[in-house]
Amino acid sequence: MKNWKFLLFIIIISVGCKKPYNPKVINAPSSYLVVEGVINTNDVTTIKLSRTVNLNSAVTTNPVNDATISVESDAGSSYGLTSSVAGTYTLSGTTLDNTRKYRIRIKTEDNKEYLSDFVQTMVTPPIDSIGFNLTGKGIQIYVNTHDPKNNTHYYRFDYSETWKFHSKYNSAFISNGVGILYRTPDQDIYTCFTGNTSSTILLGSSAKLKQDVIYQNPVIAIESTSEKIEIKYSILVDEYALTADAYKFWGNLKKNTEQLGSIFDAEPSEISGNIHNTANATEPVIGYISAGTVSSKRVFISNTQLPQSWYPTYPYSCELDSAWFHAPHTGENQVQDILVPFLALPVSAFFNGGPGPAGYLYSDSQCVDCTIRGTKQQPAFWQ
Amino acid sequence: MRKIFLLSFCFLIFLHAASAQQGNPKLFSVNFQQATISQVVTELESKSSYHFYYDQAQFDSLRVTLQVTDKPLETVLDLAFKKTSFYYAITQQQVFLTKGRQIKTDLAVGYSQIHANTPTQPAVSVADYTADVEKKVPDATTENKLYEIGVKTNSIKAGKAILSGYIRDIKSGEAVTGASIYVANTKTGAATDQFGYFSITLPRGRHVLNVRGLGMRDTRRQIILYSDGKLNIEMQEQINSLKEVKISADKVANVRSVALGVTRLDIKDIKQIPTAFGETDVLKVVLTLPGVTSVGEATTGFNVRGGAADENLILLDGATIYNPAHFFGFFAAFNPDIVKDIELYKSSIPEKFGGRLSSVLDITNREGNKKKFTGSAGIGLLTSRLNIEGPIVTDKTSFIFGGRTTYSDWLLKLLPESYKHSQASFYDFNLGISHQINEKNNIYLSGYLSQDKFKLNSDTSYSYSNRNIVLKWKHNYNNKLYSLISAGIDRYQYDISSSANPVNAYDLGFNINQSNFKSDFTYYLSNKHTLNFGLSSILYKINPGTFEPNNPQSLIAPDAVPAEKALESALYLGDIFDVSSNFSISAGIRYNFYNYLGPQTINNYAPNLPKEPANIIDSTAYKSGSIIKTFAAPDIRISARYLLSDNLSIKGGYNTLHQYIHLLSNSTSISPTDVYKLSDPNIKPENGDQVSLGLFKNAKANTIEMSVEVYYKRLRNYLDYKSGAVLLLNHHIEQDVINTQGKAYGAEFLIKKTAGKLNGWMSYTYSRTFLRQDDPNAGELINEGKYYPANYDKPHSFNFSGNYRFTHRYSVSLDLAYSTGRPITLPIAKYEYGGSERVFYSDRNAYRIPDYFRSDFSINIEGNHKVHQLTHNSWTIGVYNLTGRQNAYSTFFTEQSGVISGYKLSIFAAPIPFINYNIRF
Repeated sequence: MKNWKFLLFIIIISVGCKKPYNPKVINAPSSYLVVEGVINTNDVTTIKLSRTVNLNSAVTTNPVNDATISVESDAGSSYGLTSSVAGTYTLSGTTLDNTRKYRIRIKTEDNKEYLSDFVQTMVTPPIDSIGFNLTGKGIQIYVNTHDPKNNTHYYRFDYSETWKFHSKYNSAFISNGVGILYRTPDQDIYTCFTGNTSSTILLGSSAKLKQDVIYQNPVIAIESTSEKIEIKYSILVDEYALTADAYKFWGNLKKNTEQLGSIFDAEPSEISGNIHNTANATEPVIGYISAGTVSSKRVFISNTQLPQSWYPTYPYSCELDSAWFHAPHTGENQVQDILVPFLALPVSAFFNGGPGPAGYLYSDSQCVDCTIRGTKQQPAFWQ
Repeated sequence: MRKIFLLSFCFLIFLHAASAQQGNPKLFSVNFQQATISQVVTELESKSSYHFYYDQAQFDSLRVTLQVTDKPLETVLDLAFKKTSFYYAITQQQVFLTKGRQIKTDLAVGYSQIHANTPTQPAVSVADYTADVEKKVPDATTENKLYEIGVKTNSIKAGKAILSGYIRDIKSGEAVTGASIYVANTKTGAATDQFGYFSITLPRGRHVLNVRGLGMRDTRRQIILYSDGKLNIEMQEQINSLKEVKISADKVANVRSVALGVTRLDIKDIKQIPTAFGETDVLKVVLTLPGVTSVGEATTGFNVRGGAADENLILLDGATIYNPAHFFGFFAAFNPDIVKDIELYKSSIPEKFGGRLSSVLDITNREGNKKKFTGSAGIGLLTSRLNIEGPIVTDKTSFIFGGRTTYSDWLLKLLPESYKHSQASFYDFNLGISHQINEKNNIYLSGYLSQDKFKLNSDTSYSYSNRNIVLKWKHNYNNKLYSLISAGIDRYQYDISSSANPVNAYDLGFNINQSNFKSDFTYYLSNKHTLNFGLSSILYKINPGTFEPNNPQSLIAPDAVPAEKALESALYLGDIFDVSSNFSISAGIRYNFYNYLGPQTINNYAPNLPKEPANIIDSTAYKSGSIIKTFAAPDIRISARYLLSDNLSIKGGYNTLHQYIHLLSNSTSISPTDVYKLSDPNIKPENGDQVSLGLFKNAKANTIEMSVEVYYKRLRNYLDYKSGAVLLLNHHIEQDVINTQGKAYGAEFLIKKTAGKLNGWMSYTYSRTFLRQDDPNAGELINEGKYYPANYDKPHSFNFSGNYRFTHRYSVSLDLAYSTGRPITLPIAKYEYGGSERVFYSDRNAYRIPDYFRSDFSINIEGNHKVHQLTHNSWTIGVYNLTGRQNAYSTFFTEQSGVISGYKLSIFAAPIPFINYNIRF
């Protein structure tokens, strides 16, 4: 329903202009606690604790260590979380009763205590399917789900995507620091895997429908020229059932931080979560703790499922140059000067009538070495 | 009987003459037989030292047969001119003979004091109130002719009489609204109403009426007022259309009218103001006036003296317009070829208006030309216009029709590929018919239709539409009393539909209908009192939202927020009381009754607890037609003016207002798909009051007008929303609203030059507007319940609108606008959440966007001014935002690939040239 605002936005941009805006440094009077996570009743519960940083700060991550976190049920049981990574607290190996309500208790190292409101456990219905539609620009991946019992209505999704890609040039040679050798299969740097996780808030609601059905809820759009779909692409979608209150929190957070800035958009408003300082109710605490199960589904999209006319655009501009053992005019040993000390990577050999190569075609590492942007290790789930 | 009168008349004359010429009563004995005037004069001059002055030609028809002995000159002449239209006047030794009218040898009766011993009074006290005899009211078209008003008498009686009539345009027969009639020697004046009607009480006798009208050439009429009577005055339009800027109709009104904070603008002034795309825009001009702000360019709403955008009553010929903009707010929905003038009431809101808290913008359309068919056409960058008008029955019935449409799709074609298939279109039509049944009855019909449609990539389509019709009947009971009775229907509706996702395909509809009945009476009780009274009633019916599937696969659950009904009625009485020639008061009361009507189901909440689902005690179902809740409250409207000197006055005013209909909008500016809500048992009516004080001065023969006004205003029960509130299709909106209180104060300085080659206006306004949420049951409070600046709080604002006329054909206009940037809420911290950087916002509106500055320039070229040619052409060429300053429209912080960045969005960020071509035929 906000689409027309987007149209207006586009019109304004085309008549007017959008420029970076950096108001003079504004600093918050203090740093606020940020709590993120879901009490997962049938798997690992992960809670992340951090603090806000000033806008001009170079790093955004500001984890809070040495806090004590526990999950409490309305039946009185309590489960302590342990911290392995900075700011991340986990509870594993415990299955919680889905009929109870849960909350978390946080005690920070400066002895402040925070408590979330008791929330109902939401059992998330399974994801029915993940598919995609061809759009003019590429593909739009969507998710379908439904609750046959008609009592979920509010959903949140996040995803983790993985794709196989290759570098611009397939290098057959490698420098060992002394000379140029043939590259062995395990030294291959042509084909890699990489991935990404969702950074936008994905919500779906069937509150206005007769049945609790989420049909083709957009997840992510991939352009036809994207490397993601040049060979094979995989996406794992997690689905979280939300209470109406949690849905409102996420919707508000989305509006406040992903809005377009047209003046028809709602003004930034206070994001009130469900976590409070037990001693000072007015202290802002960011975050909303929900409880429930998580449903996940993974699908693969192979390049063969897509139009053959689509062609990826390599993210860097690449050229092949030649390095001679004896450069025609200068007599310089360019192989020794450039390729051996790893200043560029050899791709293929060229010959000039002699038995051995007269030199190598070479290119920059970002055009040859896929490990700069990914890993050669095939993920366990890869098919 | 008649003889006795005549006898006594002569007797009195004799007495008077005798007393006046004590000591030397020269007596004459004459004998004339069919004597010509020259014979009579020669005879009388030869017998005395009197000298006679006369025009031989005027007296060529006179033959005198008379025989008298030893009579004074007066008797001789009385007898000689008896039963003729000749008059004489004697002063010392001179005698003036005239035909048709008498030369007065002393100051006019009524000029200062009435001659106490004027002997003529009893003689003519006959038939004084026969003024209303049915006869054709003269059309006074000439300046140098003396018009006789009322029942003619030989001598002028003391006392006062009422002159009334219409002022019309000589060419088109249209009423001239807001024209002033001013009688300099008595310092009295009157102004015409929207039908060109005026009524003025004057001492009997001879007067010069100075008549001034908006866009009309100043003129005067000479009258002799014998008794109550009528006079219709026809005025000529200023021939050059490179008009002077006249911000106010009436040059003396600035100082003399009792009202404060009222501005009238003629369409010709509005057309001088350069706008983006060259499209004359009546709403953008309103923004150049002191005390009016908006949240940004290309927005629909405007804010008057700290009021919210939905607190302005926008009337088009008396019909309420709910959405006055086309194309997301880029254009006003009013056709500049049809609009005659606009009037903005910021402070002294007449009693006849009510129902909105901050201002009334009264837009009046022209009446059609009653004498001949004319029309005009205009071509601009985005729209084309055509209007036709003419008589249906010459001098009695006329029509005017105007239409506009857009071809703005070319603009959309400039968009990136993925939006190229979007469409946007709009049109609007106006029709006006006016008919004069007779001198006492006129009827007027006006209709308005506007429609906007836009569609995004064959996905979601939107449309909204205003539909209005109003019928008015004006009846003159007599010179002192007239009424205007009107009935109309206003409708605003919008529809949104989407079919991209078959399962979620929907149609969403909203509409508001109101039926109005109004009767306004104006009674000129005496020259000291003018009474306005009347009643009005509005029946609202709102369908707050229907939501339906629009195809068979759609799983959308049909939903409809139940229709709302209410009746808003008011009775009012106001009096403009001229206490003395220097001191006038306008005082009135408007009593509002508001009934929220069934059928409806109302939730009853536990008292003193937040309105939340948990606090619903029960709900009551009301039957159709039952009165669920009544709010009744008086509005007080008082203003007063004291003249410190002829050119300087001080004015003060106080008024209160109530508003029963609320616009639900939680975005910075009004959007076309916002919802209206009526006050009900859970949503209180908004109310506000304002006190204002002003100093008004005219200089240089009223060509320079200056004013300073200060005001303080309070607003109560304005609606704000809980964070994350969903306003559309909300069945329990009372659970999501928070009552907000507001206060606004400011000082407005205005100087304008209304005549000369250089004219225009310049204003500076200092104003503040603060809002506060102190509803203890609101739950969360914005800024902890402290006052915070409203979105449109712009403390400093400066405007200049000027026009320089080189010749009658060429003129240039320059506009400058500066204001403090509007308040915004900025992020003060960032954090990671949901896989991305997010920002944490400051207190609401704690910061401001950069200051705003814009300059616009245009050149107006008129075709030649030959009266007889097929068409008259004109061109307007200009540049909007001459300096190309990139004013911030908004700033925002948004996530892109997991990183949050700040952006400043500008519209019209470069100089925008425009050209417009207009034809009149």
